[in-house]
Amino acid sequence: MTLPVVIVDYGMGNLFSVASALRYLGAEPSISSDPEVVARSPHTILPGVGSFRLAMDRIRAGALDEAMHSSLGAGGRLLGICLGMQLLGASSIEDGTTAGLGLVPNVVARLDDSGGLKVPHVGFNEVHVTERSGLFADLPEKPHFYFVHSFRMEEGSLSCPRATCDYGGRFLAAFDAGQVSGTQFHPEKSQSAGLTVIRNFLRR
Amino acid sequence: MTALKKRLMFALLYDGGNFMLSRNFRLQRVGDIEWLERNYNFRETALSIDELVILNVERGRASMDGFLSHVKRLNDDCFVPITAGGGVRSVDDARVLLRSGADKVAINTVLWTDPALVAGLASEFGRQCLVASVDVRSTADGHRAVVANGTEELPMPAAEWLSRVATMPIGEIFLTSVDRDGTGQGFDDAVLDLVPPDLPVPLIVAGGAGKAEHFAAPLQRDEVGAACTAHLFNFVGQSLATSRAHLRGAGVDLVEWDPDLLRGLAGSV
Repeated sequence: MTLPVVIVDYGMGNLFSVASALRYLGAEPSISSDPEVVARSPHTILPGVGSFRLAMDRIRAGALDEAMHSSLGAGGRLLGICLGMQLLGASSIEDGTTAGLGLVPNVVARLDDSGGLKVPHVGFNEVHVTERSGLFADLPEKPHFYFVHSFRMEEGSLSCPRATCDYGGRFLAAFDAGQVSGTQFHPEKSQSAGLTVIRNFLRR
Repeated sequence: MTALKKRLMFALLYDGGNFMLSRNFRLQRVGDIEWLERNYNFRETALSIDELVILNVERGRASMDGFLSHVKRLNDDCFVPITAGGGVRSVDDARVLLRSGADKVAINTVLWTDPALVAGLASEFGRQCLVASVDVRSTADGHRAVVANGTEELPMPAAEWLSRVATMPIGEIFLTSVDRDGTGQGFDDAVLDLVPPDLPVPLIVAGGAGKAEHFAAPLQRDEVGAACTAHLFNFVGQSLATSRAHLRGAGVDLVEWDPDLLRGLAGSV
């Protein structure tokens, strides 16, 4: 039996590419905006590109926040990608302060371009992982991933296994808090390294 | 220290169900997607690139459906960012491309004809989503930018047009030398020299790659972030993997992908 994975559809993000990557790995993706489907999903992916505030409005309006909480309560696993990872945090200062899903205590702020850095941060950049296990198992010593973002999650006091990247200062590139995990980069767009991360998420 | 990697890109030119070779913007049909897969093993090519570009080069205003289905299908074989474009004239045109697996949208003619649309696209999808394509050729009056598949020449020096495009709400500039396009003679230094200093966005260069060595010269320039080829015959199958190895050997800072690992991940869960 193939592994079912639900991709949460709230109208923002490249769902198609995430589904392609899941199919390649042998999983069976379904794209859904139905909170009942999300609530019952053992493996859920929250993608997203765009505005934090708009995303939270749409997620709340669709009762998808409660659905993701229910799925976690039943032992499910959740992976947020790009904006999807930021949404797992406490809040973001994009378009004024907006509360996130609060699954990790971290906050989201704009990348620092005061040093003349090009923002958004677009392209393949190196990340440093704290331990090559769990979500980060089997990665090369200096893995590279594709980023495209203007806001980033601060590392804060997070002590779980995590990855950081340096672009106008160090920021959280990914974290693995067990049931809840996230990647600021796009694993579905990062060749072998990216698909290894998605495989690791699905294997647990 | 920020060290974004340089990128090696491949472009596929689509026209009414077929993939094309272009030489100085004159098109020649090569074959359909089955043919591409059978003879040129596109999956292998996709393992060795950092980004894929898929351009609809059909002249006139044809239905987008066939193009969209090809973008979707290519997405299944390619785990890198995809830029799609060709004939984008509205926010909806861009939206359907982004919903078919594209991460970024290439725009060319509307940069000249419809700057308001460029602003609209940027506010809807973010400027990082827009790749501004600038085609340049030499004329009796010096280098000029051309739009509408190279058929319309803009009334200003190419350098001036590049400077103007750089101030638009776009994420990257994709600069093609029409004179070198498809010739395999190497990238066009004269066109690269037109780029304004302190360009605020990443620069992708195209037109002229014929062999692995050709990519090194532009990629060693600080202002160039990526080099792209659309030369199907020269660069499909293993030859981009070979180019990659050559460039890394020449000190170009490319990511080292592991094609064997990616193959091994197929069906692994």
